[in-house]
Amino acid sequence: MRVATDIGGTFTDLVCLEFDKNTGKPIGVKVAKSDTTPANFEQGILNTIKKGTINLQEVDFFAHGTTVVINALTEHKGAKTALITTRGFRDVLEIARCNRPDLFNFNFVKQAPFVPRYLRFEVDERMSYKGEVLMELDMKSLEKILKKCKEENVKAIAICLLHAYKNPTHEIQLKKRLLESNISVEVIASHEVTREWREYERTSSTVLSGYVLPIAKKYLNNLENNLKEKGLKNTPYIMQSNGGITTINDVKTNPITMVESGPASGVFGAIALGKLIGKNDLIVLDIGGTTAKCALVENGQVKITTNYKIEHSRTQAGYPIQTPVIDIVEIGNGGGSIAWLDQGGKMHVGPKSAGAMPGPAAYGRGGKNLTTTDANILTGRIHPDYFLGGDLQPDYQSIEKAAKPLCKLLKGEKVDVAKGILRIANANMINALKLISVNKGYDPRDFTMVVIGGGGAMHGADLARELQVSELIVPPHAGVFSAFGMLMSDIRRDYIRTNVLSLAENQKNAIVTTFNEIKEEAISNFEADNTPSEKVKFTYYVDLRYAGQEHYVKVLLDRFSEETSLEEIIKHFHQEHKKQYSFALDAVVELVNFHLVAEVAVDKPDFPKMFITNKRVEDAIFDRKAVDFDDLGVHTTPFYHRDLLEPNMTFKGPAIIAEKATTTVVTPLHTVYIDLYGNLILRIDN
Amino acid sequence: MEKFTLEIIQDALVAAGDEMFKTLERTSMSPIIYESLDYAVGITDSKGELLAQGNGVTAFLAALDSVVKATLEKFNKKNPLKEGDIIIANTPYAGGGTHLSDVSVIYPVFYKNEVVAFTVNKAHWTELGGTFPGSVSTVATEIYQEGLHFPFIKVKSEGILNDSIIDVIKGNVRLPESTLGDLFAGIAAAEVGAKRVISIIEKYGLATYKKAKNDFLDYGERMCIEALKEIPNGIYKGKTTIEDNGFGEGPFPIKAKITVTDTEFIADFNGSHPQVKGATNLSFSGLVTGCRSLFKAITTPQMDANGGSFRPMKVLCEPGTIVSAEAPSAVSVYYEVLVTSIDLVWKILAPLIPDKLPAGHMRSICATFISGIHPDTKQFYIQAEPLAGGWGASAKHDGNRGQLSCGSGESYNIPIEIREMRYGIQVEQYTFHNEGGGYGEFQGGNGQYIDYKIVSEGAYVTAAFLGEKTKTWGMNGGHDGSYNYFMIIKKDGTKQRYSLGTNIFLEKGDVVRCVTATGGGYGNPSNRSEEHVLLDVKNEYITKEEAKEFYNVG
Repeated sequence: MRVATDIGGTFTDLVCLEFDKNTGKPIGVKVAKSDTTPANFEQGILNTIKKGTINLQEVDFFAHGTTVVINALTEHKGAKTALITTRGFRDVLEIARCNRPDLFNFNFVKQAPFVPRYLRFEVDERMSYKGEVLMELDMKSLEKILKKCKEENVKAIAICLLHAYKNPTHEIQLKKRLLESNISVEVIASHEVTREWREYERTSSTVLSGYVLPIAKKYLNNLENNLKEKGLKNTPYIMQSNGGITTINDVKTNPITMVESGPASGVFGAIALGKLIGKNDLIVLDIGGTTAKCALVENGQVKITTNYKIEHSRTQAGYPIQTPVIDIVEIGNGGGSIAWLDQGGKMHVGPKSAGAMPGPAAYGRGGKNLTTTDANILTGRIHPDYFLGGDLQPDYQSIEKAAKPLCKLLKGEKVDVAKGILRIANANMINALKLISVNKGYDPRDFTMVVIGGGGAMHGADLARELQVSELIVPPHAGVFSAFGMLMSDIRRDYIRTNVLSLAENQKNAIVTTFNEIKEEAISNFEADNTPSEKVKFTYYVDLRYAGQEHYVKVLLDRFSEETSLEEIIKHFHQEHKKQYSFALDAVVELVNFHLVAEVAVDKPDFPKMFITNKRVEDAIFDRKAVDFDDLGVHTTPFYHRDLLEPNMTFKGPAIIAEKATTTVVTPLHTVYIDLYGNLILRIDN
Repeated sequence: MEKFTLEIIQDALVAAGDEMFKTLERTSMSPIIYESLDYAVGITDSKGELLAQGNGVTAFLAALDSVVKATLEKFNKKNPLKEGDIIIANTPYAGGGTHLSDVSVIYPVFYKNEVVAFTVNKAHWTELGGTFPGSVSTVATEIYQEGLHFPFIKVKSEGILNDSIIDVIKGNVRLPESTLGDLFAGIAAAEVGAKRVISIIEKYGLATYKKAKNDFLDYGERMCIEALKEIPNGIYKGKTTIEDNGFGEGPFPIKAKITVTDTEFIADFNGSHPQVKGATNLSFSGLVTGCRSLFKAITTPQMDANGGSFRPMKVLCEPGTIVSAEAPSAVSVYYEVLVTSIDLVWKILAPLIPDKLPAGHMRSICATFISGIHPDTKQFYIQAEPLAGGWGASAKHDGNRGQLSCGSGESYNIPIEIREMRYGIQVEQYTFHNEGGGYGEFQGGNGQYIDYKIVSEGAYVTAAFLGEKTKTWGMNGGHDGSYNYFMIIKKDGTKQRYSLGTNIFLEKGDVVRCVTATGGGYGNPSNRSEEHVLLDVKNEYITKEEAKEFYNVG
């Protein structure tokens, strides 16, 4: 039995794959959901295990994704953290990058640093940019620093010294000394978090990892013990932001790698599903209550970036975290997004969300604003019996009330306003989807779109039509897809190291040497986890740019070896640059970062196939009602139970397919096919 | 409802602007573009009315629409633009010009043989030739010393690159690869924007697109007028000075009279000092750009800028003053005069709208240019950058620390680790200072030190730090802040303090200390809580002695 659990903002999900004991073939999927328990996250997991009647003694593989890190960060509820820097640079953390994203707001308020100045300390030492020691590390100020930390009840110390990405020797010495000092604090040094340059970003990443370290460690220890007590034999795996899982001990040393684990696993689930059905170029869209997230998958690969920030917006700089995160674009548009008018009479949808409480007006919990969900109800696209999993009937009076002020100001009927909300919400999502596709030189017609999350299937057909993707897939269990994705993930670690080299002269040896060094580090990490080196698969990337540029393009070195020719790499870069930015230059090419991906495949189950019982498609229809498809007109539309659909069925739109966790809207232009795995496949046939 | 379609087209135009912005950032060759983001991109209609603009800095708000309008004056009916033409221009005295280093790329977008829009960008190229590296000089007396001038010329004609122009650029600048890289980045950004505009028209039709853009301009105007109503009507006056023109002469007064009604905002600079010898002159189009950014700050700071949103604003000034300089006056340090002009209007209006404008901030770009030969690579380098400092406190919060001036915006400092590799300069400290000032109920943000140690065999520094003799201003009982200046600390320990300096020789081992001001305080210091004062002492933002003297704490 294989189990994955995912803690989300509102719900904790569990997905369990069961196998036939004799054949080893998967026989079914079990899904359980319970409320997230913020005071004590592991309780929510135990609740889902109970709800799903899972016997942990029979579980061979247990994967887990958690929001414990991102919650501690966004709520600023981490541990009191101190920082030690090179002398002269303790203010780097607060000076930050000096930018003002809200640039015409002269009364702007900058975000406060996570470590106040009185807890930022300096030591004498200095490395050059080449990693040479300009000044030896002097430990004499340490005593004072430790005394102060004790007085101030500091729980974690972050160390970030200049140029430690190039030569971490002083950080290693400093950390060793701190650990020997018998003070009960966690210590984390920047080279353990990132080996990329840019001192502010590295300091920020280290501070934030330190800030969540005590909490994450406590949480993981409790979880491990609780699961063990309940009979789990093997230690659980933990989902990371790079789309891979890793061992629990690994995340305990640098917990910041868990920061975006939820969205990452959703995308990886889609990749695994795509591989199964032979679709390797995907646009994945996950629409939740507050946000929509999207990612592009090319040839079964999603890009990894370290250019990640929390609390970043159009008006705030945010806090950077240089940790490998899959390249996702996120916008403030979900089911709960509120429609509002500005002073000039223009309508906007989001980013403010009604959340779960009070929720959309339709929840009848006092929500006074019209939201995207309400607009979907007003156009007839959600069946009242399937609203909120069928637990609740929509509160039409409350919707009416919320729509009134907008109708008055816009001088329109409520259904016109509703259509306007859907158009604007869809346009916002189209802009986000273009950011990851058209704007990066990709043609959406070459892609399959996979929609997940509670709202993905509601909007997918309209978006797929506008973007002209070849087809749209609504997988089964789209509502708990993140947990599902974890069952499909491999163990993965990303090693990224800045080492600027000009590719003008032959630098092949230097490249091979550096990659070998990183490889050795990776192998020793895996061996520490009792994974033999021959199981580790390596993928090589380099970040390249034209000399003089700052930003780079990530280039995959396919089957890299000592035989790989440098000209091939350079040629590949010119092509990528032209694809993304429409021009290539006759200039020197520079290598900035080495990026090695080390993966260990875990045995993955097959997706369970659906049984065919020769049901009739007509029998799945449970209602017919008028649905407004905006520019495609109002149609009397059949409503289908998804549970009664099975492989090989096909029918034409318009249609609405209802299931507990979501609703799929099929426009009059689309035709639906159901494949062997129960995926809904929507196409516009000519 | 058609209304929503129009709004979606407008959002799509703004999104196209964002994309052009990213393209330029990611492909350019000048740190001043990709770190300082000293550039702007935009889309105008066929007549040069601004439809969407993406900004890295505040200083280019009048640059893009004006440069298109000036392009249309040259390429009029007798000499019309053709499909595939691309124009470049950097004239300072017309068309939204600032100084020669800011080069515009103008791309007419054709749809079915008709010009339907322009995509345009303007960026600070690090090197354009001229007397000194970085094309900035505080001792230039004519524009001819400040670099190459492109008076609205075609760099591409009907899609064909003009190789002669490329050769002229190559032959006249110190970093040809970087300069040409910036040109191609600008062209790439404009082309991306043009593609998006065409796809919008193809999707919604030309007539709907035209309707959407007119509707959008009216919307901008409406939004601004709503906000303008919140500023008390009246006529307000003020005066400031440019301390020095680079030749030790000065101060030179700038005067402003601001008239606010419910529907109009008029900034009248008549009576300001005539244009000066030296490069501390601002052209009239530069003045308009400065006024627009202040106007935007007090009306609709978060709204995407468009031409309609500036309709209520007028700028008046006779030609030939220090804020309306004419050819051939030198203007390469225009940005100091620009920031001073913004600061003047700011100081006049702040007491009326303290929720929108805080006390005085550093009021200088504090731009430094250090050039030399890299000790390891032996390549010629120019390190050009604006510096961060302290901002003023406001009625609700303390002043920010570590923030670039009002002339910058979504601009970034250069990371030390990148700087040391790229230029071979060594940074000795990067820290907040406490040179006093900024006391108040809300404390002004501390200014900072950055010390550059020269490790190559000689280097040169050019810099302009106005505010060397004038402190940042406090407000409503808050104290003034401190000064901007730079100091050269020679190997032997001797120190020399500067406000403006051009190509000052530095020996190996010399240190250039750049000092940016602490911002002004807000409100009476006696209203600050003891708890806050003690926390400031604990954090060493102020000293124990200051706490005692100015806050009577401790």
